[in-house]
Amino acid sequence: MTRTIHLSLDINGRRYDLDVEPRVTLLDALREHLALTGTKKGCDQGQCGACTCHVDGSRVLSCLTLAAQVEGRQITTIEGIAAENGELHPVQAAFVEHDAFQCGYCTPGQIMSAVACIREGHAGSDEEIREYMSGNLCRCGAYNSIVAAVREAAEMA
Amino acid sequence: MTIMEPRKHGDASDGTVGGRQTRFEGNLKVTGGATYALEYPLDGLAYAILVQSTIPAGRVVKVDAEKALAAPGVLMVLTPDDDMGLLVASDWGGNRPENQPYYPLPRQVQYNGQSIAAVVAESREQAVEAARLICITYEKAPHVAGFDDVAAGEGKVMDNLTSEWGDAETALAAAPVQIEGEYSTPREYHVAMEPHGLTVKWDGDRITVWEPSQWSHGMARSYSEWFGIPYENVRLVSPFIGGGFGSKGAALAHGAVAAFASRKLGRPVKLALTRPQNFTNYGGRAATRQRIKIGATEDGILQAIVHRGASETSTYADWPEQTGAATPILYRIENFSSQHRVVPVNTVTPGALRGPGKNPSAFGIESAMEELAYKLGMDPLELRLKNYADHDYQSGKPWSTRRLREALTEGAEAFGWSRRSHEPRSMRDGKTLIGWGIGCGTFPVIQAPSEAMIRILRNGRVEVVSGAIDMGQGTYTILAQTAAEVFGIPVDQVEVHLGDSRLPGAAIAGGSMLAGSILGAVHKAATAARDELIGLALNDEKSPLRDTGANTLTFSGGRIAAPRDQGPSLTLSELMAALGRDEIEILRNTLPDGATAQEQHQAWTSMAKIQGPTMGEYSMHSWCAHFAEVRVDEDFGTVRVSRIVSAFDCGRLYNPRLVESQWRGGIIMGIGQALLEEGLVDQRNGRTVNSNMGDYLVPTNADVPHIEVISVGIPDYGASALGGKGVGEVGIVGVAPAIANAVFHATGKRVRDLPITLEKLI
Repeated sequence: MTRTIHLSLDINGRRYDLDVEPRVTLLDALREHLALTGTKKGCDQGQCGACTCHVDGSRVLSCLTLAAQVEGRQITTIEGIAAENGELHPVQAAFVEHDAFQCGYCTPGQIMSAVACIREGHAGSDEEIREYMSGNLCRCGAYNSIVAAVREAAEMA
Repeated sequence: MTIMEPRKHGDASDGTVGGRQTRFEGNLKVTGGATYALEYPLDGLAYAILVQSTIPAGRVVKVDAEKALAAPGVLMVLTPDDDMGLLVASDWGGNRPENQPYYPLPRQVQYNGQSIAAVVAESREQAVEAARLICITYEKAPHVAGFDDVAAGEGKVMDNLTSEWGDAETALAAAPVQIEGEYSTPREYHVAMEPHGLTVKWDGDRITVWEPSQWSHGMARSYSEWFGIPYENVRLVSPFIGGGFGSKGAALAHGAVAAFASRKLGRPVKLALTRPQNFTNYGGRAATRQRIKIGATEDGILQAIVHRGASETSTYADWPEQTGAATPILYRIENFSSQHRVVPVNTVTPGALRGPGKNPSAFGIESAMEELAYKLGMDPLELRLKNYADHDYQSGKPWSTRRLREALTEGAEAFGWSRRSHEPRSMRDGKTLIGWGIGCGTFPVIQAPSEAMIRILRNGRVEVVSGAIDMGQGTYTILAQTAAEVFGIPVDQVEVHLGDSRLPGAAIAGGSMLAGSILGAVHKAATAARDELIGLALNDEKSPLRDTGANTLTFSGGRIAAPRDQGPSLTLSELMAALGRDEIEILRNTLPDGATAQEQHQAWTSMAKIQGPTMGEYSMHSWCAHFAEVRVDEDFGTVRVSRIVSAFDCGRLYNPRLVESQWRGGIIMGIGQALLEEGLVDQRNGRTVNSNMGDYLVPTNADVPHIEVISVGIPDYGASALGGKGVGEVGIVGVAPAIANAVFHATGKRVRDLPITLEKLI
């Protein structure tokens, strides 16, 4: 397979043009073709959540999404949630404050999930946060702090 | 690395050693700005994919790569037919066979999932597609799938791990109360979130390797030795590592393959292991089993412990997962005997995984102690306190510091242990059985030398420069705190550069030895730099502080002044400007004075200079006591951990906020070990069946309750220059037995075989 297709993607409010094979995932498009490496590859098979992005505001696993599927839709990655002036998103700030990560590799996916989790109205209690954040694995074991960070950010939202 | 301004919290002391400073590199990690090994954009990058064996033992007869080579975008296929001209590199001890060829894609197959070919293509997708087209013909040989296989045999005794004193067999036979049990743990895996992989690029005979590394200098040495190039020609870059847990301390075959491909192609190459390949390309924790016999008096005084353990290893290297590591030092014991065997099977050689040795060892002895407590009808807490070891009975040496008694009593208090009812199945909430259990843990203090550089810049900033790494333990943060404290400046006036083999040498981030080692070096270098600055400030005729008549200076609140407010005070940048200095640079190491260049190289690139816990006057270890509560559904046998309180003696904590995170992380991995984690092997072909994150279960957020952690440690200046003992490994040790003991208390069923899955309870 060598044929490439032209895609125009709306990522973090910017337009990106790229020519890729149709089998290229959104995750690989971001990381290998657009130098947006904040989105992480942990398993490449939809099991770990590290690649979580937003498409039209909803969380998706970018490793299970073809880049060609999201043309014309609004994609948001970890690089796109802080304010223009660099001020952290409240979820990002809460993650730093609560030490909700160690190695940092699952963190972008956790934060993208957390932003959506709060927006979905699934951050009403610690129990609910645990459940709705369970698609994002953290092997360093920052779960207690992730719950605390999401709770705090949800209370501020 | 330039660090974005960290947020400050609490009071100013957060930024000194022992303060709760937030993670120094935190902003980079929450914005996606931290760059991991596979994220360096390079022109002309080619992509490599590994092809692994599908048989457990035998020989590769033929690799038919014709179709793969003809596939679009394919640049190269490497097979056992390619002699890469590499030489075997040194082991961790620094020992190296002379001129022994190294075949990272060997013809001999020793386990299922061994890398035997590689495809390099213009894109990752093309490489993956072509890899599927490779056709391998094998000559199969008989295999041993695991150490329960009858063909495995008894293995061999590791004599260096045998430990005996007193007369254990006689004392055991004479003891009025005896228990005996066999405890086993399955293969377990690191499952770091960042898969292994690397980006590699040659410039002539110089190579740059971007690879996640727990030890930049040690891994750089492997590349130099494989390829026969000077050590100085290798640069291994690893400022951020997406979790290691013991798996990223050594350069592996796939690194050699990628580097060879890159040199041959004259292009940079990126090679990423797929998630399934991460289960077989390097070893996790070996499966273990151990038989423990304890003899005691009727009032619970231990008389003898006899321990016989075994662990799996590969057919080509002996890697013991020492089941008798914690057994001899947790309790007062006059008669002791322990032996450990390794049993070769067709697996990749196992490796170090959080709490190596101590972890399965504690599962055995801490389960056995509770079995004894129930046999005696005694509170397991009382039994532990009654047999408290006043010194190390194995080495005969006094403890440096051992606050395990405080860990047990303060942990029990915080947990509410006194409200426990002793009988199994005696605590419940409706149809849910509730159980409480204790597990103690320990990990040795391992000491290693390190080197560090401090630069004071004209702009008043202070740089800490070290090849040490930070995979989330907090190296950036605690080094910044150390420099900030020495110079009396805020943490945001410090820059920290880490994770590069061209920077000053450091101990491996493993065995919980890095923090104590590198803090000692940074503190020494920073103090020397401050002394140099004081000397200049008091003697240089351009210095405004020269005329104060003081014989030293104070560094506080970002200003430098003579003691007792004599005369002016200056900031670092004002003083540097007054002195007309652009930079003061000081390099210090913690080797004995006069160490030669060769000794320094050996110290940073091998384990040769490492000191074990009893090599000095004292026996030095971290300690902990875990208290677990489980809730078991009586009908379905499902176990939920509902509460954990853990008390630790890790000496002085350099940053409690980050230490607490590491402790919780270890405990959570222990919850996984107790209830979820198990590598399953197909006996027919030695294949790891559940080699992915959906089938090899690790704890999710919903599996984890709130975990309360308590520090009961006091500074131990014998253990390290600044008083800390190891933090990272000990957290997991003792968690699994605490949970197994709680499950027994809840259900009356003793599960001696991890993980505790529901079919073992119904």
